[in-house]
Amino acid sequence: MATGVAERTIDATGPALPSSPRIGVHTARATWAWRAFLAIVYLVLFGPLVILILFSFNDSNILAFPLEGLTLHWYADAFKDELLREALLNSIVVAALVAPACLVLGTLTAFGLTRFRFRGRSIIGGLVGAPLILPWLIIGIAALMFYVRFNVDLSLRTVIATQIVCTFPLVTAIVAAQLFRFQRVQEEAAIDLGCSRLQVLRHIILPHIAPALAASAIFAFTWSFNNYEISAFTIGFQQTFPVWVYSSVRNPDHTAVVNAISAVISVVQVVLIWLALQLLRSRSGDDATRGMIAGTDAVAPGVRN
Amino acid sequence: MAAVEVPIEPVRRSRGSGRGALGILFAPVTLLIVLFLAPMVIMASMSLLKFPPNTASGTTLDHYREVLTNPLNLKIAWTTLWIGTTAMVIMLAISIPLAYYMVFRAGRWELFLLLSLVLADELAPVVKVYAWQVILGRNGIVNWFIPGPPKSWLLFSPFAVIVTLSASYITYTTIPIYAAMKAIDGSMFESAIDLGAGWWVQARRILIPLAAPGIFIALILVYIPMLTDFVTADIVGGTGSYMMGQRVRDLILGAGDWGAGSALNLVLLVLSVIFSLVAYWLGRLNRIQT
Repeated sequence: MATGVAERTIDATGPALPSSPRIGVHTARATWAWRAFLAIVYLVLFGPLVILILFSFNDSNILAFPLEGLTLHWYADAFKDELLREALLNSIVVAALVAPACLVLGTLTAFGLTRFRFRGRSIIGGLVGAPLILPWLIIGIAALMFYVRFNVDLSLRTVIATQIVCTFPLVTAIVAAQLFRFQRVQEEAAIDLGCSRLQVLRHIILPHIAPALAASAIFAFTWSFNNYEISAFTIGFQQTFPVWVYSSVRNPDHTAVVNAISAVISVVQVVLIWLALQLLRSRSGDDATRGMIAGTDAVAPGVRN
Repeated sequence: MAAVEVPIEPVRRSRGSGRGALGILFAPVTLLIVLFLAPMVIMASMSLLKFPPNTASGTTLDHYREVLTNPLNLKIAWTTLWIGTTAMVIMLAISIPLAYYMVFRAGRWELFLLLSLVLADELAPVVKVYAWQVILGRNGIVNWFIPGPPKSWLLFSPFAVIVTLSASYITYTTIPIYAAMKAIDGSMFESAIDLGAGWWVQARRILIPLAAPGIFIALILVYIPMLTDFVTADIVGGTGSYMMGQRVRDLILGAGDWGAGSALNLVLLVLSVIFSLVAYWLGRLNRIQT
């Protein structure tokens, strides 16, 4: 074995110079293969969104290629649709209540778990992480049975309650990652210089984690806004936006309107989420952001369905 | 689970008191117990009642026996398994090269790619699945490109479910693999090339074995949501792709059969917990988290 390797090495050094142009050709081809591969990946990730936007301007209610001319009247229809307006409003109200609640609860939990050492810490960590792992279908059904068992009427309130406990652990994950990276030296220096606990919080910790808090607020808002499963099981007679989309998908008269409103919502979300990601980056730096995503997002998939 | 398991710094004794933690954690933990844990207990109790939700009807294990032996459920479990596994194979075929590219070739674009993945994932799932319905539909863009009469197997079929599931979870298969590959020393590939190894040998002998823990984590973590996914199968699936998530939903909301529904749901819950503990253990073992 060893001699074989040695021989090959020697072989390789021999004709290395003349063959280097061939290597160059090879890498150029490889580069193009990689570009094609990346193009496919981006097509799969964002192609659906582009298609929705295209069709939302298409002057026909039939979803057929080629497109038939430009129109804006699906957008007009979407804004005139009473049920849709109500569903959008419901989703916004729910998300606007869920996000701040999650921000407070998630940040408190992050502090509790990173700044204190106590017995049962890992159990609490597991309990906080569980809603991130368990599928929303399971959580939604359990919540439905819970509310029915105790005669709580299903409404937006039950949606909000269950969404809060399923979403604040996400904030905890993001903020805890940030807190852990934070140099405690500064905190301790401030205390040594006579700062009170509250002053430390206000002048040292909050400015440091502010971008992470803003990013978590955006994530919590979009999670709540996009959530279908929990809403579907705990909502009663009202509709949220995903529930509306879900029920409209089977109605052929509705498709163009669904396209238009989905396009608007998706574009807004792309902008907001990109902003959130840049916020995370702004304070943590690129390496830390990579670490946070690879560390925090790797646990989140259970949530999506 | 693992995300919240942020390793604690060695804390100065004076401040690491349990009482302070109690004050801070009281509200969130109480909420979790009341609104998350208690519903799970209620669901478990429903699965043991003879005629749920009537608590006076006596207890039984019949629902579990029924759920686990019903041939229909076994058939649905099989459908879910093969659809999920096919989607998984496709996702790995995309994620492994993608993660490799991000770690070793992307250079300054690495973070951009990573953020794009997260961004794509955060968009509304219902809307994304609906978009695939538009793409794969009878008059959709795919049928427009393919010559000949419209292919009916493109939509409302297992094919559509597999494609849509694969597209939906690419972020979750790529990120753990990416994390595992981050730990690989890139110079190994250079040595391999110097020793005459082609790309296939490099992938098979270096990349895959060293990224294996990440690949297993990806496998486990994506099987959990696919096990219970009903949105995708509802919107782009057909009769041949009736999945476990749909079954549970229909038992509860359609048939109103809380006994069988909660028993089946609990089986899925136990599977999810086992899966995630294995993933967590693997991640711990290889120190992949961050």
